[in-house]
Amino acid sequence: MITMFLVLSIVFMLMRLLPVDTYFGGRSDSMSDTVKDNILKQLGLFDPWYVQLGNFWKNLLFHGDLGESIVIQQGVKCVDLIIPKAKWSFQFGAIAMVFQMLIGYSMGVLMARWKGKFFDSLGNLYILLINALPAAVYFLFIQLYLSKVLHLPMFFEPYNTASRILPIICLSLGGIASNAMWMRRYMVDQMNLDYIRLARAKGMTSSQVAFRHVMRNAFIPMAQSLPTTLLFTISGSLYVESLFSIPGMGGLLITSIQRQDNTMVQAMVLLYSAISVVGLLLGDIMMMVCDPRISLVKKGGSR
Amino acid sequence: MSEMKQDVILSVKDLVVKFNLRGQVLTAIRGISMDLHKGESLAIVGESGSGKSVFCKTFMGLLDNNGWVDSGSIEYAGQDLATFKKEKEWLHIRGKKIAMVFQDPMTSLNPLKPVGKQIQEAFTLHNKVSAAEAKKRTLELLADVGIPEPERRYKQYPHEFSGGMRQRVVIAIAMACVPEILICDEPTTALDVTIQAQILELLKALQRKYGLTIIYITHDLGVVANVADRIAVMYAGDIVEIGSCDEVFYDPKHPYTWALLSSLPQLGVKGEDLYSIQGTPPNLFHEIHGDAFAPRNPRALKVDFVARPPYFEVSPTHKARTWLLDPRSPSVEPPEHIKNIRNIRKLKKEDAVNEQITR
Ligand SMILES: Nc1ncnc2c1ncn2[C@@H]1O[C@H](COP(=O)(O)OP(=O)(O)O)[C@@H](O)[C@H]1O
Ligand SMILES: [Mg+2]
Repeated sequence: MITMFLVLSIVFMLMRLLPVDTYFGGRSDSMSDTVKDNILKQLGLFDPWYVQLGNFWKNLLFHGDLGESIVIQQGVKCVDLIIPKAKWSFQFGAIAMVFQMLIGYSMGVLMARWKGKFFDSLGNLYILLINALPAAVYFLFIQLYLSKVLHLPMFFEPYNTASRILPIICLSLGGIASNAMWMRRYMVDQMNLDYIRLARAKGMTSSQVAFRHVMRNAFIPMAQSLPTTLLFTISGSLYVESLFSIPGMGGLLITSIQRQDNTMVQAMVLLYSAISVVGLLLGDIMMMVCDPRISLVKKGGSR
Repeated sequence: MSEMKQDVILSVKDLVVKFNLRGQVLTAIRGISMDLHKGESLAIVGESGSGKSVFCKTFMGLLDNNGWVDSGSIEYAGQDLATFKKEKEWLHIRGKKIAMVFQDPMTSLNPLKPVGKQIQEAFTLHNKVSAAEAKKRTLELLADVGIPEPERRYKQYPHEFSGGMRQRVVIAIAMACVPEILICDEPTTALDVTIQAQILELLKALQRKYGLTIIYITHDLGVVANVADRIAVMYAGDIVEIGSCDEVFYDPKHPYTWALLSSLPQLGVKGEDLYSIQGTPPNLFHEIHGDAFAPRNPRALKVDFVARPPYFEVSPTHKARTWLLDPRSPSVEPPEHIKNIRNIRKLKKEDAVNEQITR
């Protein structure tokens, strides 16, 4: 929580260092200095920094308010602009995440189980391709060719379910590759450990060992990064959203920056940093839940 | 110790084990023949790398993937274990008939599973019983291996146990199905001295209770003297001498056994450096000619470098692979201090008795 407070405060202070011109919505040439001063005063920018920071936190905590948009839709609350967009990003991200985990993890498990065999090589080829090719290349390929082959719409249409298939595929491919790669790697690491020899000496089959012991233990190191990945996947992908014209959050950030909508940029940066901090925190909690060796409250060890 | 029982439970003939290491072939076991007697405890001693673990792993089909039994046979219960290829064939042996206790109790348990579950797993793999029954058996096992408060311990994770307690858990896992043969691969090497004695006591008690046949793998002759009925001395993938505990300690015949005994700290004279064997073990990638120990043996005979000695019988229970036992060879006396072992061992035995009394 303290980290989050610090990060947000620092971001807020940094935004204050930007030139004030941006607050006039691109009309600074036609305004007199007094008008400008008035606007700035209204925004509270002449107050000492600690008052500004205090107001910012008061608004955020008690009113859930991140200020008003200046350029994109003047006078509309940033939160109200972001939420409808976030809904789309969230929807796509959540579905993609499910695929990434289901397919990625099972792929990794199977690859590790039959390490060095055909399926493993096939999986490695896939991982290699995904990592070696620039995402733009296969995204375009999917958009242009797969849409023809499968007769699917090339662009997103809100009321056409079929139009969601291709973007979700694009969103999932990378995650599947990295999930499979890490799962395989951690499982192979685990398989060389002593307790696996003991499990085999008990008379377990290799499959029983893989599924009852190795898989869960290999998952632990990944559990920590899981919430962060999850949050970032659901917070939208800049590239996929613009490629398929999905009205998501990724596009909104770009627009805000391009059009110098300071409060919007501020709101979105805050949102993203909050996401990473919450992700890290959840990651630690995940670790704690999964790994009995870690506990926040130190229990009296019985030796 | 106990009287000799001659029922053979497992019989190894001319066993050769090879490994493929980066394209090169290494011969880790070079034609071992040996019988294991029912109910005995056999100690296999030898320096690290002599092939003790590899030898015993072949009894359970647990060789690493790059290793294989090249020739020879392992007769057990009317089957030849050396011919087993598939995992399925091993499943009714591993854990059920032959079980193993590994060296390092800190790493041989799954850190993320409660210990009770890990023991129970070993039991339910081979016995179709209800969960409640399996748990009951697990609690019995925990009590059996001397873990207090089994109910509470059942739910705990390995990190909540000390090294000695963990080794007890590993032993409980091995005992889950009451195997016929228990292989203990350096069971106490990773533990403190006081704990070592307790674990050895436990193993002896279990052996008496269940009539186990135990193989102790160790490089610590002190451990051996305490527990073994018979001793097999291994060097470079071969058993160079085998005999009853007394025979090997009192009347060792192979120069390598002499060297091993000489390096016992108990034999050291105050103020003098402890004896250590010169040279390094042979390279197992090359074929070994003659007696593998000859290059490190200052008193080796010429023939030792040329021909591999056969086993010479010293007594019906004692044999050694050394040309020194050939009637034609010149007589080479063992080093003086080897002859003193008898006295030292007597003292040790009295110590042990005193210890028992004071306890
Ligand atoms: N997986 C393996 N690959 C190659 N060589 C091995 C492998 N396992 C064991 N060896 C070799 O076999 C020999 C015997 O090893 P081991 O049985 O572990 O010795 P120890 O007597 O210390 O238990 C050693 O020389 C070792 O290098
Ligand atoms: Mg070993």
